[in-house]
Amino acid sequence: MMMRHSKKIHLPLCLALLMAAAACHGNAANNTAATPGVRVTDVTLGRSVGGDKAITDRTETFKPNDTIYASVATEGSAPSATLRAKWSFETGQLVDESTRTIAPNNRERTEFHISKPDGWPAGKYKLEVFLNDQATETKNFDVRGS
Amino acid sequence: MGIFDGFGKKKEEKPQPDFSNVQSGSSTTSAAPPAAAPLPNLGPTAGTSGSEQFYTVVAGDSLSKIAKHFYGDANKWPQIHEANRDQIKNPDLIHPGQKLRIPGA
Repeated sequence: MMMRHSKKIHLPLCLALLMAAAACHGNAANNTAATPGVRVTDVTLGRSVGGDKAITDRTETFKPNDTIYASVATEGSAPSATLRAKWSFETGQLVDESTRTIAPNNRERTEFHISKPDGWPAGKYKLEVFLNDQATETKNFDVRGS
Repeated sequence: MGIFDGFGKKKEEKPQPDFSNVQSGSSTTSAAPPAAAPLPNLGPTAGTSGSEQFYTVVAGDSLSKIAKHFYGDANKWPQIHEANRDQIKNPDLIHPGQKLRIPGA
């Protein structure tokens, strides 16, 4: 009799504790990187990259004939991680989307670039960077007529 | 005339720019993942038709990787490219979720 009574009291308490734990976990996930072990630490835009894949001519305002580079810095190690760069125009229209699978080891840089032979339409653009399909960083940039 | 003013009028829509000729690429300081890693989700996923098969691209795939799997020869990737000209403009750029036609080996 005592046992049954005690179970009835503890079941709701356990459920409440489980829910609280889940809520805490959710908050933690929001504040940390998308992938355990690897995280995107920086995304920079520019007109060219060096051999280390870092931007050498940094800007967020481009000309219609520029090749637009994004350099994505990652930190951490994993046997495999997938970076995705999604470029879109002001209305949300997809410009390009490309992925690169890497085997990061400590600090790495990956560059994505796009070009348009007949020139970029002037306007506002957005780059979203995903790590293993989870959004990590967004960069806005402009193209202005020369 | 209030709420009916908009009916029957054509909205002036700004034409959407054409981004179909955008060229893209990427490079990295990181090593590529081990080649020995098995391709996930390999095998026909949308059925087969005669000697033709279909394959759904997953992250990390390339045409040569898929050619290697289906034909045993990565150099046969142009066959897959040719069969999917309608959806592959740049053979270096395929996207997860794309359903590719794999012509008979």
